[in-house]
Amino acid sequence: MSAAILADMSSEIKAVATFLAQTAPFQFLSDDRIAAISRKVTVRYAKAGSAIIRAGDHNDHLFVVRSGAVELRLAGDELTARLGTGSSFAYPSLLRGGEVHNTATASEDTLLYTIPAEQFHALRSEVPAFRQFFAEDEAARIKHALADRKRSSAFQLDTKRLGDLIVNTAPISCPPDASIASAVGLMHEHDVSTLAICNRHELRGIFTDKDLRNRVVAQEIPLDRAVSEVMTASPRTLPTEATAAEAMALMAAGGFRHIPLVKGDGGLAGILSATDILSAIGSNAIDAGTAIFRARTADALIEAAQRVPQSFAAMTSSGFQASHAMQFTSALGEAVHRRAAQLAEEELGEPPCPYALVVFGSLARREQLVGSDQDNGLVIAEDQGPDGAAYFKALGSRISDLLDASGYVYCKGGIMARKADQRLTQDAWLHRYDHWISEPTEDRILRATIFFDMRCVYGEASLVRSLRSEVVAKAASSSIFISYLARDALRSKVPLGIFRNLVLEKSDDGQKVFDAKAQAIMPIIDIARTLALAHGLNEVGTVARLEGLAQSGSMSADDAQSLSDAMLFVNELRIAHQARQVEKGASPDNLISPYSLSPLERDYLKDAFAVIRQGLDALRRNYAGGIT
Amino acid sequence: MFTKWRFDRRLNSLAASGHEVLTDYAGSDWPDRNSAASGAAYLALDFELDGLRRDADLLQAGWVPFAGDCIAMASARSVDIRSDASLDPAAVTIHGIGEQRAARGQKLAEVAGSLIAALSGCIIVAHAAEIEVSALQRVGKAIWGIKLPVRSICTLALERKLHPHLVGAEAYRLGPCRARYGLPDYEVHDALTDAIAAAELFQAQLSRLPEDVILGDLEQR
Repeated sequence: MSAAILADMSSEIKAVATFLAQTAPFQFLSDDRIAAISRKVTVRYAKAGSAIIRAGDHNDHLFVVRSGAVELRLAGDELTARLGTGSSFAYPSLLRGGEVHNTATASEDTLLYTIPAEQFHALRSEVPAFRQFFAEDEAARIKHALADRKRSSAFQLDTKRLGDLIVNTAPISCPPDASIASAVGLMHEHDVSTLAICNRHELRGIFTDKDLRNRVVAQEIPLDRAVSEVMTASPRTLPTEATAAEAMALMAAGGFRHIPLVKGDGGLAGILSATDILSAIGSNAIDAGTAIFRARTADALIEAAQRVPQSFAAMTSSGFQASHAMQFTSALGEAVHRRAAQLAEEELGEPPCPYALVVFGSLARREQLVGSDQDNGLVIAEDQGPDGAAYFKALGSRISDLLDASGYVYCKGGIMARKADQRLTQDAWLHRYDHWISEPTEDRILRATIFFDMRCVYGEASLVRSLRSEVVAKAASSSIFISYLARDALRSKVPLGIFRNLVLEKSDDGQKVFDAKAQAIMPIIDIARTLALAHGLNEVGTVARLEGLAQSGSMSADDAQSLSDAMLFVNELRIAHQARQVEKGASPDNLISPYSLSPLERDYLKDAFAVIRQGLDALRRNYAGGIT
Repeated sequence: MFTKWRFDRRLNSLAASGHEVLTDYAGSDWPDRNSAASGAAYLALDFELDGLRRDADLLQAGWVPFAGDCIAMASARSVDIRSDASLDPAAVTIHGIGEQRAARGQKLAEVAGSLIAALSGCIIVAHAAEIEVSALQRVGKAIWGIKLPVRSICTLALERKLHPHLVGAEAYRLGPCRARYGLPDYEVHDALTDAIAAAELFQAQLSRLPEDVILGDLEQR
């Protein structure tokens, strides 16, 4: 044989290498390694229904599904996993020296690539990413997926120090008793738009170009008055060590664009403006928040709220992580609700008694994405007779109408302030909750779970706070109610795999899809809610609930972290999916086709499903009362 | 059987040719036509040619031997073949092998030697196998002046038996045939990829035939 032909023996097998290069975990390998592995591959065809390996066999190959589908059965009976293109299997047997525990059967006509154990072990010892992929259980693999995604994000909101975003020079400042004229002169001289008002080194307020327009010129205030009369007093501050994410959440929720930054010693480090962050990341999330905050009329609010989906798309395309996109979208949603209530009050006059606008569900948990309908109600301090009822009826209707026009469409289930049963006094609310808790039925619980995620977004917050404490205490003491909640959670159809699975649903155009919200996110939310209520925790957000459960020792820290990671991961997929839809002008949904995912994403998704199923199993064992 | 008689006669004349590679070929262990197809040794083979003319140049050869239900990539080969001819521009756009690459390829005689060695005792498997068979025999004539005896199975002909009533030629092309057995799409017009594709298709076809089907029922006459 000639030298040229010998050289050819080390070249890649194109058909095999091309596939491996885009399949986890081989995609972590160098081209040379992939070429070498492609020569070690043996191709096998398995007809639908034929066994590939059986429990009890000795196995010395790693199997990769090239096309078709494979079913893995633990000890030959209980269905454990269904694998599609790009999935690896039989590696646990390699790790334990060859003894096969799971029977693998081709559930469709399947083409397999097999790789000798020797190469598998060599790659594990030489390539850390390859080792990681196989070393751990599903939970650990999700953690790695998230770490990878965070690393590859365009902008690290979690790690970007605010101190690094501002120019590191002492901010221009003047004392509170300085005249407006001298303050403006100082701003002109140094060409700044924001002035810090400090008493010695202590920050008293800030004064901006906008304040000059709105509070001085427009109000015809004489320029010899003290600047302290027209400044924004006691502004919200953040430490220089705070992250960009915190600053953006504060700006989006508060509708302001400047945040003074204070150093560790309490001294003023500078004033962070929205443009400082925007120039660093390029996004219009804060703009939308400001427009909502400033909306003076219903039309202005409706117009501003229409920018929420766009800013959501902009946030995701500029590399935001799921948790941030949800945080900001929720902050914007909260701002729209608050402004809607304020505008309604302006139209109808002062309320006859204190009340709170309470939101339920995803907005209460601060886990909202775009396209949600409204879920809200009024908690009224005390009964005000027919006149009071008429006022709150008008108020509730106006709020719901404004929200509907702003994109938070009417709730199909009627959970909104325009419905009479959603405008109750605190006592009446408590009575309603009591009814759910002490006389649960399957149907009642199905409708009521959303009410156990509640938060005040406007008005007298203490009304909601005390209601929530009482409700949580009652719920925690009723094991029957908790068992109904657990059973409700167990209804969800979490897929066993993602391909060719019976529980995959069909979208309108007949494509097989999985519902990221119903089949992954909702079960996690349900698990966290059920356990949080069972243990009397007051937290509302899912991640906060899981953290609370871990801290109180009610759930292992690992399990809590895994569920929280799984939620974050699926939300990443879901948000990317919705951002693509928004960009295309389609209305966002949660129906994701597995074929649109990369093989790596599919692997991680399967792991997420496994984590969720484990969480549900634990719920079944501990709380479902053995009924299911 | 006449086919066997003719094959054996040609093998005998090879044995007397004096070329070592040909005598080895003639003396190798050839499977009985009445033996089970599942137990035979095969070589999936594909040539990239410069056009469809009868005398078209061979530009690339890809082959992979297989037996049982495993196709091992370790013994797969892909070789560019040297050609000094000015190539048919229409064909170049399909196979992507230009004149410079063709000029750098290996000599046809060397490639033919390795191929004949790999083919010893093996049945050729190819989609539209008569192209490979006739090209191989042209090579044998040009290099050794002999008519090379080969045994072959055509996956296209086999597919016409397995799925006889499909409409149009398109349905019997390699890709659509593979799709019927759940086999993936491959990039076409790379000799080795096409050879692997044919090997996989043949395994899929075998899985649909009775386990005791014999070679003689599948081979081209």
